[in-house]
Amino acid sequence: MEITFTLNGKKTTCQIKASATLLELLREALNLTGTKPGCHEGECGACTVLINGKSVNSCLYLALNANGKEITTIEGLTKPNGGLDEVQESMIKNGAVQCGFCTSGMVLNIKALQLETMQNKKVPGSGIKNSPNRNEIKKWLEGNLCRCTGYVKIIDAAEEVFNKGK
Amino acid sequence: MEFEIESPKNITELCKTIKSYRSKSFRLGAGYTDLLMELKKHTPRNLTVINLAQLKDISFSSIRSTTKNIQIGAMVTASKLVTDTSVEQPFPVLQQAAHNLASTQIRQVATLGGNLCTASPSGDLICAAMALQASCEIMNDDKKIRTLSIQDFFIGVRKTALKKNEFLFAINIPKNKKETATLHSGFIKIGTRKSMECSVVSLAFHLQIDKTGKIIDAGIAIGASAPTVKFAQSACQFLIGKKINSFSEKEKEEFANKVLSYASPISDIRATAWYRKEVLFNISKGVLE
Amino acid sequence: MSKKLKIIGTPVPKHDAKIRTTGEAIYGHDIKLPNMLYGAILRTQHPHAEFTIDVSEAKKIPGVACIITADDVDTNHIGYKRDHPILKKNEANCCRDEIAAVAAETKEIAQEALKRIKVKYKVKKGIYNPHEALKKNAPQINKFSSGKFENKNIAEKFFYEHGNLEQEKKNSVAIVKRKFTLPRMTHACMATSNITAHYTKTNGKLLLYSSTQVPFLYQRDMAHALKMNPSDIRIIQPIIGGGFGSKLDMHPFEPICALLSIKTGKPVQILYSREEEFIASPTRQPMEIELTAGVDKNGNFTFREIEIIKDNGAYTSWGATTPFVIMQAFSSLYKIKACRFNALAVYTNNVFAGSFRGYGNPQATFALERVIDLLADEIGIDKAEIRLRNANTKGEITGQGLHYDTCGHKECLQTVIKKLKVEKKKVEKKNRFKRGIGYASMLHVGGGAKIYRSDGCGTTLKIDPYGFCTIITGSNEIGQGSETVLAMIAAEELGIELSKIKVINTDTDVKPWDVGVHASRTSFVAGNSLLGAIHILKEKLNNKAAQLLNEKNKNFTYENGNIISPSHQQIALDKVVREMHFTEPNELAIASYFYEPSSKFQDKDFKGNVSGTYAFASQSISVEVDTYTGNVQVLDIHVAQDVGKVLNPLLLDGQIHGGILQGVGYALTEELIFKEGELLNPNFHNYKMLTAADVPNIHFYPVETNDKQGPYGAKGVGEAPLIPTAAAIANAVCDALDVEIVELPITPERVLKAIAEKKNNKKNK
Repeated sequence: MEITFTLNGKKTTCQIKASATLLELLREALNLTGTKPGCHEGECGACTVLINGKSVNSCLYLALNANGKEITTIEGLTKPNGGLDEVQESMIKNGAVQCGFCTSGMVLNIKALQLETMQNKKVPGSGIKNSPNRNEIKKWLEGNLCRCTGYVKIIDAAEEVFNKGK
Repeated sequence: MEFEIESPKNITELCKTIKSYRSKSFRLGAGYTDLLMELKKHTPRNLTVINLAQLKDISFSSIRSTTKNIQIGAMVTASKLVTDTSVEQPFPVLQQAAHNLASTQIRQVATLGGNLCTASPSGDLICAAMALQASCEIMNDDKKIRTLSIQDFFIGVRKTALKKNEFLFAINIPKNKKETATLHSGFIKIGTRKSMECSVVSLAFHLQIDKTGKIIDAGIAIGASAPTVKFAQSACQFLIGKKINSFSEKEKEEFANKVLSYASPISDIRATAWYRKEVLFNISKGVLE
Repeated sequence: MSKKLKIIGTPVPKHDAKIRTTGEAIYGHDIKLPNMLYGAILRTQHPHAEFTIDVSEAKKIPGVACIITADDVDTNHIGYKRDHPILKKNEANCCRDEIAAVAAETKEIAQEALKRIKVKYKVKKGIYNPHEALKKNAPQINKFSSGKFENKNIAEKFFYEHGNLEQEKKNSVAIVKRKFTLPRMTHACMATSNITAHYTKTNGKLLLYSSTQVPFLYQRDMAHALKMNPSDIRIIQPIIGGGFGSKLDMHPFEPICALLSIKTGKPVQILYSREEEFIASPTRQPMEIELTAGVDKNGNFTFREIEIIKDNGAYTSWGATTPFVIMQAFSSLYKIKACRFNALAVYTNNVFAGSFRGYGNPQATFALERVIDLLADEIGIDKAEIRLRNANTKGEITGQGLHYDTCGHKECLQTVIKKLKVEKKKVEKKNRFKRGIGYASMLHVGGGAKIYRSDGCGTTLKIDPYGFCTIITGSNEIGQGSETVLAMIAAEELGIELSKIKVINTDTDVKPWDVGVHASRTSFVAGNSLLGAIHILKEKLNNKAAQLLNEKNKNFTYENGNIISPSHQQIALDKVVREMHFTEPNELAIASYFYEPSSKFQDKDFKGNVSGTYAFASQSISVEVDTYTGNVQVLDIHVAQDVGKVLNPLLLDGQIHGGILQGVGYALTEELIFKEGELLNPNFHNYKMLTAADVPNIHFYPVETNDKQGPYGAKGVGEAPLIPTAAAIANAVCDALDVEIVELPITPERVLKAIAEKKNNKKNK
């Protein structure tokens, strides 16, 4: 079947199998390998992408339900001139990247939180009301496993993004 | 994982689709966080998934107030339950259960209906909804609605009372009593880490208290302690009419024992039956401390 | 090197962080070659069984290129004991056992083919407990073992002693004996195991894209397994999604993938699923440690006597050699007059372990530090005081022959004791939440470990005519940041901007020899190797610069891309390089150096100075235990570590935090659960790795002892942070509850059981 959606700002149409996951579509058909396959069961968050600005595990999301939606992958965060998003900059500066396999998912989940808080409303799924504090960031990142960093620098990186906004 | 898919756009189409699959093998898919996990392990041959994710009807995915109830559509996501003020203020137990469900990413797509219809003995939203003494609105493929108490909705491990031509449309949660001055309402989830847990034991409590401190209504439900989530009727009865701040140590233990009488836990890799009982007793007591 | 450092010691972000943050980094999972086939492995359904196998139906599936079983291949056994067949024939001995492999055009076809392979099993009763395996009438589990020990199921054996044990027992006023049980923990790297093999039939060359952390040993092992010439095998390491020791051994899936490529003449890729990763990738060694230890009337430790039984699993991996490190902790952490150590690795039908960050040391330290608390209680001395009294000191040569040229042990202890100012609340009888504190220290190699004939590392250094520098190093990057540290050293010494430094470290055809990433050795050994190469290259550059500037004094300094003479004449580095190339005697600005640490291979009694230097660390940890649920919340972790010298505080922090959280997981939640040889929790859902929500407050205090051997004084740091964490947490839980913990992980259930037992004991008294 055919679906059409906006992928990293570009209208994209592709043929998919009914049972294809969004992760398979991105990595195998569209060669967007920045989205990482960590577990295929929604437990590790490495495959997190943004769907209409919200972070979702692409391994448990049917590609066909992406029809008509806006999808952002890690490749879509980098600016056309090669410049990085502030979340990426903060991750690098804070030493939040070691092996890097969880990083795409982490960056996008932090980005999702930033997009939500920009609207200055309550953040769905979190109970966060304004700019998130450290504990709220930790809770928000609960679904992104990392084996290298002990999360500390990742939380630092996220905190810096939000403190900047204050 | 190979299956066919139907994506009805509204309830009429949904009913028609279900009717046409009466004699075939199909599954309903909403948030897919449980279903895809199951199908990745094993997909029966010639399976069709009826995809609810593209239904446009607001009634399916909204939270609304009726005279007696708050009605929550089956397609309402866990993340909406966390932030919607019409849930958070009157029903902290449900808000907390939703907030402690899996992860941020899962909550964005996982639905109330999905959690209920999976009918896991450890279903967190089930446990909270049961403590709130909710009822289920079930629709059939002729668009007829029947209502079932949430306790009757679950008939065994991963089994619901839904017939093949039925689906869960919404749940109704009775509004808190007018005399209620304060709430003692919450969800206790036991696991080894703080997040990403499937409850080893869970306890949902929703106590309505009048301005004199008297408990005027009580709902207690326990999860992961029996083949289905259980409503601890006698424990609730025990509380009603008593003052929230005046329980003696002995009464707290009596209450905990009443809760425990509904538990018939198993031992599995997460915990032994001994642990489940021990901790259930302790946290039940803790509710009154 | 008395000059002021400009780059070393500063928080330089990781050299390669950018591509890892944008999705541009190519991991093994991202490789796609033309005509590539997908490989998949059929594993036994039963941990112990005889079987016959029929692949004829599966071969008929369109898209299946090749199916192999043991009958189709001519290979040598793998593992350092050569007791491990790559594909198993007729008999399966553990749940991982590979019995057939498929290469097909798609992943789906490969999986379908696996389903259609017909296997008939005759299930046999396995042996899953090492004590059972040691019984006289037990059958021989591994038919390929050397059988050189008195019992056919002993895979490896270690004995060590120093001092007069009997005398020290007499000198003791208190003796404590306990048995500790340690679980199987697994690495759970975020990227699952993967390999892409590409064999070219026309020239007989095998190219492997592999995430090994020891490429040169791997090349040799692969060649032995496949009966090939090592030099016909080229290893390229794509970006590696986590190591922690898991990639030290070569595992059967790797030669299997090579065989599939050799048979088909096409590239073949094998990617583990997460379930397969849990089942078939290595683990930390489970073991029982029985420790007897004494203390004299002055609170000085007298002796330690250790009996260890390790579950070796069905085959022998590097994991069997962890007693090398375990005995070091027992013989040399805190001053100890006498030590006797016995360890057995015993074959069972369980999965085999491998190496894992700390290499046996977390297990040893858990037993050791628990017993220190018990000894302190016995003689009524403060738990901090007894540790300070026995701490290791600079200049000490231990019973095992380790030379502590520098030693920050006491300073580490003092620091963490002082920093842990817990308001340990007066615990009332009815208080649900109880707090406790615990201490633990650790000793680990800090300057490599000479367990091969060489512990060396080669470097080739090149400066190009544009003033850019390329470091071709034998060492490799598995996410820990070694590329960055090497680039910083080159930038510091050559006065070049970091952005002009490139590190080449992924190709065995190009890079010079190195043992590999292990033993916290990379910064130390590769750093020293690089410094050696820089020294040689600078001599060449100095000569040319002196000639060009007409300078006699060659005491040049390197700054901002210039070479500056003592008389303040300067010339651009790139110009000097061009002149070297283009004017007589026309030479390259290239230098090579091989660094071999001063350490010694230990003698047959395991004595000798095995590392260039030693790292020490202490941790103090506060916990709060919920006595209703048994949940342990770690509140604060104070860690002081003798790192020699801080090379890069940002990367150092990362190693500390990451190691500590793995240690917390080891202490509280992580365990592979087996029943009769089968894994019951092969997923992240039930294997409880900690999440961001579980992170405690970690406070790190680096202790700099400036070891003469280390680059700028630095010591190895990678493994240390994990080692004492579980011990300190266990001590804190015991302190909070006044119970005894002898088993990890300290799950909520074990905590409630300990509380219940304590109640029962009181009742019975």
